[in-house]
Amino acid sequence: MKKLLSNAVLLMFALGLHSCKDSSTSSLTKVDSESIKTVGSVEVLKLVPPPLVPPPVGDRPAKKIQVMLETVEEVGELANGVQYDFWTFNGTVPGSFIRARVGDEIELTLKNNENSVFPHNIDLHAVNGPGGGAEATFVAPGQSATFTFKALNPGLYVYHCAVAPVGMHIANGMYGLILIEPEGGLPPVDKEFYIMQGDFYTKGKFGEKGFQEFDMEKAIAEHPDYVVFNGNTGALVGDNELNVNVGETVRLFVGNGGPNLSSSFHVIGEIFDKVYVEGGSVINENVQTTMIPAGGAVIVEFKANVPGDLVIVDHAIFRAFNKGALGKIKVSGKDNPTVYSVKK
Amino acid sequence: MKNLFFLLSLIFVVSCDKKVNNSSIEPHLELVSFEIQVKMVEIPGGYYRPFFDIDSIKEVYVSRFFMDERLVTNQEYLNFLIANPQWVKSNILSLYADDNYLKNWKSDFEIPEGVSLQAPVTNVSWYAAKAFAQSLGKRLPTVDEWEYVGVADKSSPNAADNPEFTNYILASYKTGERYKIPVKAGQSNYYGIYDMYGSVWEWTSDFNSVMMTGESRNSNIKNENLFCAGASLTATDLKNYAAFIRFAMRGSVKANYCINNLGFRCVKDITI
Amino acid sequence: MKKFLIPFLLFGLFITSCTSNSNSNLPDDSIYHLTSEWENQNGEFMQLNKLKGDVVVMVMIYTNCRTACPRLTADMRDIHKQVGKANNKDIKYVLVSIDPEFDTPEKMKEYLEMYKFTGNEWLFLRSSDANTRELANVLAVKYKEISPIDFSHSNIISVFNKNGHLAYQKEGLNIDIDGTVSQIKKQFN
Repeated sequence: MKKLLSNAVLLMFALGLHSCKDSSTSSLTKVDSESIKTVGSVEVLKLVPPPLVPPPVGDRPAKKIQVMLETVEEVGELANGVQYDFWTFNGTVPGSFIRARVGDEIELTLKNNENSVFPHNIDLHAVNGPGGGAEATFVAPGQSATFTFKALNPGLYVYHCAVAPVGMHIANGMYGLILIEPEGGLPPVDKEFYIMQGDFYTKGKFGEKGFQEFDMEKAIAEHPDYVVFNGNTGALVGDNELNVNVGETVRLFVGNGGPNLSSSFHVIGEIFDKVYVEGGSVINENVQTTMIPAGGAVIVEFKANVPGDLVIVDHAIFRAFNKGALGKIKVSGKDNPTVYSVKK
Repeated sequence: MKNLFFLLSLIFVVSCDKKVNNSSIEPHLELVSFEIQVKMVEIPGGYYRPFFDIDSIKEVYVSRFFMDERLVTNQEYLNFLIANPQWVKSNILSLYADDNYLKNWKSDFEIPEGVSLQAPVTNVSWYAAKAFAQSLGKRLPTVDEWEYVGVADKSSPNAADNPEFTNYILASYKTGERYKIPVKAGQSNYYGIYDMYGSVWEWTSDFNSVMMTGESRNSNIKNENLFCAGASLTATDLKNYAAFIRFAMRGSVKANYCINNLGFRCVKDITI
Repeated sequence: MKKFLIPFLLFGLFITSCTSNSNSNLPDDSIYHLTSEWENQNGEFMQLNKLKGDVVVMVMIYTNCRTACPRLTADMRDIHKQVGKANNKDIKYVLVSIDPEFDTPEKMKEYLEMYKFTGNEWLFLRSSDANTRELANVLAVKYKEISPIDFSHSNIISVFNKNGHLAYQKEGLNIDIDGTVSQIKKQFN
């Protein structure tokens, strides 16, 4: 009897410890992350164009990171034969993906290309501070400004230009994503991609060739002509389609620059095993379509089980087929008839 | 002995004269006038509604004045420099211009490669533009004066409420090397003034009266910490995005900035 | 010996007068390159380069201001207190009016007395509209007349070193003045 009792006590003690352990790991508060010390020398973050992302942070300690962004205004292709005056971070829509971890001290320098016509700045939703950095980085053409912020909250955040008129700067493509990984980093996956949806407003109709001007009235009325991933109807199709192999785990970092529309994000032929709801810390599972608000983001994960084409869409479906909100993931590899087969 | 004395005092007088006597006048501000051929248009006085609505004052009166019909050209600025060499790239004080002053000029007296003498001069600071104007007995326009002329379209002195005009302006705010476009390339407006839109930005004498900062999202909310009485300045018409763009540009610059797409024109008071 | 006396004297004069050009060793960005004339609270006229050799703490306000200027002036008073009297003959606290039409020497003097800024280290200056605009631009201060007695303006305290080089600026009200005070003290070394 005594042995049973002592065993029971030991068991309850162990259970007690275990449950205490569980609840404390996920509650890294802002106050805690403020006190994370950075170690080592300053790292200059190597930026890459979308849909690529910098390598995962893994389990490295918090560091000082330097990020350099340049605002560039240049004419580019919005669709086949359709040119548009894009305002960009680093010459791409969306701007380069910034990747860091909780506790990092990030020194961000924003330069405005000397041939720019307009002043710009940056507001990063990952920043705890006035304007998200907008105040400190207001730069006229040819000028640059620097500020530093500590990443206190893990998550996937939008950054964008906030100079008046804000809607116009965003509508012309000035947005991107910044990922703050939690301590220890996100669980490893085989492939990671960066996608950002945006709505575009042109004087001419969808598909009308030639140079298209921004249409302010349509933007205010929220009637876009184009809804695209990564700034171009062809950014994720044809030669630009994403490639994965059967059996690989895939993570998509998906943002929505807006300026106006929310996204009903869905991958045709797949189910999201994991959804980091609104790019935060709550994880939903087994989700078909997830909402991304304008100015918001989400992380979705799935495993590619069968070969074939997966189609990335905004499931507000006319946007996918009539406005360009369409992308492709090509899955290559051996058939997997257990999961999917067609009777001949 | 006497000869030596005279010789030395002669040397003393001759060599020190310039430096000693003029120690209280800045060489940069001894401005010399020069030959210039630019038509100035008389702009009649009148009322207009400024972009920022100042509490109860809805309209501002602008007194009549003369305005250059076009922007100052590279040729004219070159002539200014020849007459006032203290303002060339290699002589200018950093107080009056940043490192981008006449950045693309091939040398002190050579304009940039691939740019016409009839294109507007750019990469000049506010201090330099002011000096140019002063040397000719003129001055820079105020924001009110520029905006007052700026609300005129081809056929009327005040097209502020015409959405087509706002669209026309927005369309003119395109990306590109605007400093290459020669002056008077487009159509003149109601007053016969050219280059208000479709060319480079322009310095104004009181651009630093524009209280816009990088944080534009709370412009309708008090921002008293940074700007005293800032709460009473609100944008009159949120749809007037074209004006937002111009004012954002003014709010982002400092007087010593020299920018590729920023030039100027002169105005003159009408004295009876 | 006498043979060389006169040439030596002349040589000495030659050297000293050629270097008496007060602007020849000013940094390129010194505020003392400005030649604007300013009137102080005593009705005396001066150029800014009269302040050369002193550390200068400067702010732009106007006497009718009911909102931020009282706070900004109080910040100046607190800074003055913390910097202490030790270096008083090498420092000037300068208030510059952005409403020169209303802020006459009498008004300026009244304002200084109201705050008990009575020492010689306090100056209140005004000049023409154009000169005020120019100085504001050097300080990167923005201001706009809203009505004849009401101005909107940025709230910036600036610190110049003894040669007129802008050493430090702090923007905002109810600011942490410790940073400004230590920057001022630095300029005395």
